[in-house]
Amino acid sequence: MIESLRSKSKELLENGTVSLVIGYAEGSKKGKTKPFFAYSSEDCDKLTFSPQCVNNLTIYLTRKFTFMKKGKVAIVAKGCDVKTINVLIQENQLKRDDVIILGMSCDGVVGKDIVHDGEQLPDENKSIKCLTCDVKTPIDYDHLFGEEIKSEALEPMTGGIYDAVKEVKAMSWSDRWKYWMDHFERCIKCYACKKVCPLCYCDVCITEKSRPQWIETSAHARGNYAWNIKRAMDLAGRCTFCGECDRSCPAEIPLNIINQELAMTVYDSFENYTAGYQTDVTPPFVSFKEEDKEDFIK
Amino acid sequence: MSVNQLSEDAFYNLIDDLNSKGTTVVAPVRNEVGMVQYEKVTSSKDNFAFDEVIGRYSPKDAFFPQHETVLRYREGENGVEVKAEEPEINDTVLLGIRPCDAAAMISLNKVFTWDYIDNLFTERRKKAVIISIACNEADESCYCTSVGFAPDGKEGSDLLFSKIKGGGYLAEALTDEGETFIANNSTCFSKKDKSVELEPIAEVTDLGVNIEHIKRWLDKKENFEHKVWDDLAAKCVGCGGCTFVCPTCHCFDLVDEPYGDQGKRVKNWDGCQFDHFTLHASGHNPREHQPQRWRNRFHCKFKIYPDRFEKKGCVGCGRCIRVCPVNLDITEAMIEITAMES
Amino acid sequence: MSEEKTEKKEEWKPRLVAYVCNWCTYGGADLAGTSRLTYDTSVRAIKLPCTGRIDPLFIIKAFERGADGVLISGCHPGDCHYNTGNYHARRRWTTFRSLLDFSGIDMRRLHFSWISAAEAGKWVEVINEVSTNLKELGPYKEFKAITEKKEEYDRVFAQ
Ligand code: SF4
Ligand code: SF4
Ligand code: SF4
Ligand code: SF4
Ligand code: SF4
Ligand code: FES
Repeated sequence: MIESLRSKSKELLENGTVSLVIGYAEGSKKGKTKPFFAYSSEDCDKLTFSPQCVNNLTIYLTRKFTFMKKGKVAIVAKGCDVKTINVLIQENQLKRDDVIILGMSCDGVVGKDIVHDGEQLPDENKSIKCLTCDVKTPIDYDHLFGEEIKSEALEPMTGGIYDAVKEVKAMSWSDRWKYWMDHFERCIKCYACKKVCPLCYCDVCITEKSRPQWIETSAHARGNYAWNIKRAMDLAGRCTFCGECDRSCPAEIPLNIINQELAMTVYDSFENYTAGYQTDVTPPFVSFKEEDKEDFIK
Repeated sequence: MSVNQLSEDAFYNLIDDLNSKGTTVVAPVRNEVGMVQYEKVTSSKDNFAFDEVIGRYSPKDAFFPQHETVLRYREGENGVEVKAEEPEINDTVLLGIRPCDAAAMISLNKVFTWDYIDNLFTERRKKAVIISIACNEADESCYCTSVGFAPDGKEGSDLLFSKIKGGGYLAEALTDEGETFIANNSTCFSKKDKSVELEPIAEVTDLGVNIEHIKRWLDKKENFEHKVWDDLAAKCVGCGGCTFVCPTCHCFDLVDEPYGDQGKRVKNWDGCQFDHFTLHASGHNPREHQPQRWRNRFHCKFKIYPDRFEKKGCVGCGRCIRVCPVNLDITEAMIEITAMES
Repeated sequence: MSEEKTEKKEEWKPRLVAYVCNWCTYGGADLAGTSRLTYDTSVRAIKLPCTGRIDPLFIIKAFERGADGVLISGCHPGDCHYNTGNYHARRRWTTFRSLLDFSGIDMRRLHFSWISAAEAGKWVEVINEVSTNLKELGPYKEFKAITEKKEEYDRVFAQ
């Protein structure tokens, strides 16, 4: 799998199809890989792939990183990463022709703070997103590496993270308030959550809007609540559950839970819509149906 | 300076004693989500994590909180009234921080007493006693020895505790404050037993770097635009993670939080990795791209700190490596630059 | 003692922030005024061009500044001055409401309505109903635990 990934990458660079291959290389510490940019054939020998390849590299396709790209690029993408590419295309941030997708068949990556060596990854070491993954073979690619993996038929919005969401939902509202206040209290406003998110690509973020200061910059309960709620809301109907924000949060705030609550609401309210599966449908928040439910409006 | 000893029980009694005297005790504890943080502890039964390699965040928060009010204003009958905040600063003991973090406090102190004396910082520092515990374990990210510090280093601490085989600590006073501390809490300490044997000190990876050479390389103007910055840091996503966890990072922002006709001016941590950090009002940003921002961080640690404060900017705690979501490892740059300069 | 308490309770008035669209609900409120209808004075109406202009953050801001309840109101579906503003807003509120609920906001304090420029009576009804509810609920103490307090300033400036 790695050998064919390397040789395909070399071929693409050598015949001038792409100027850059965005992939993974061995990391600096045990059990880590890192994002890696291959500009030449020699660079391609450093490309790798394993369950340690946790990053969603599609962040480098967004306009946050225009300075490093010239022309067409190829990108190593797992099934979940391809979902992000789909949303970027759907939102006109990217053209399908601008990118060559080196799709990886994938049976899971390691969870947060887990050091796991070797290939076989038991479920308990997997990232929670992998437990309900239905794109182990990416839904779109130009070249596929590894054996196709059939995803089992899954009950939508069930298991893994969705069960965790339901658990929080089952609490009383005042318990939920306490639950989130306890978590948000730890937020240090490092903004890693927005910075790693490939779908947080606004040129100017609301946090930087200071007249008025919509979101207080202070890491106090009020500022943290506003920030975490606003960030999540802006990803509603868009978040593909790559889990990067949750993985990167130094304060261990369960961002996956809050993001997937939104995904579940969007699924239930807007005709079972799930982000990342189609590029040719209008996203739920730039469209509407006259008959959308409004049972909460007087 | 004196060397004493305290048993495991005495160590925990010390925490209770200090608390009962009204002293604030800050120590490493494991919180409800499993992270180790330096927090105020009120009882010897807290969820301590003295054996953790190092806390997720640095203990700088004790002197330089992430968020604090510096003044308040309000519109009264006689125009605008302004009042400087005078927080109550309690006697504090930082118990069980690591030697690298203690050393970092010297560097921080230098910044906050440089051209302007930051009273909020210095008052807190003056009222604090720093007790480090020597490291018996290091992880892959630790590299204190490569930047001139040590797992049993003495810089910046008032007292150094070292773990005794079988339990308890050896307590070495390093400053007058340390001596006074032992005198004031003499019931917890006993004379050093001649036969005590210490737990072995941690072995820390030697990176084989030379920070003088790194500095020399950074001093050369032409290297400011060297391609190494792009090569290494193009992948940096600009989250402020590394700056917020670093014990020597000290940037902050003063902002007004208005609230009708009253409000606060607050001091919040800021960081050079944020795109907004150097943005001018005109819209121009001298550090336009992320690698330039990362270059600044590296310069800050290995050139600006030594040039301006005659102190080291990096103590090798390894936190920035552990926190980085894209595995941008500062030691890779150190190694590469050392190689270019040798 | 208990007398004093009941007296206090009567004195306390909730703060209800109403974000209303210019073309319908504001018109309705205006009509209520010119028709000399009276309604509860707990409400502070804030006029915006359209419900489509109401950012989710407005709700959070209102609570941050001490609101005990928030009402969002605009044109009936099909009547939006900009044709579709309220349809888009409706989707956003469906989602944001759920998120706020999930985050532990007291949902008895957040209300939505469609009130046209002709429905002065409905405006009066909705405001009175929501205000009465809020009076029963009392101050929104959970959120107020994280807001700025005037008393704190009084104390600091008195020193
Ligand atoms: S979610 Fe699916 S494609 Fe993504 S890492 Fe997990 S198993 Fe692989
Ligand atoms: S990554 Fe976590 S700590 Fe940082 S701003 Fe986001 S929620 Fe807060
Ligand atoms: S919000 Fe988090 S999980 Fe969703 S797309 Fe962004 S980084 Fe991924
Ligand atoms: S630069 Fe990194 S290793 Fe050095 S002191 Fe800061 S956080 Fe620690
Ligand atoms: S070096 Fe890593 S931790 Fe620091 S800003 Fe860049 S991505 Fe974030
Ligand atoms: S103008 Fe009233 S909802 Fe759009």
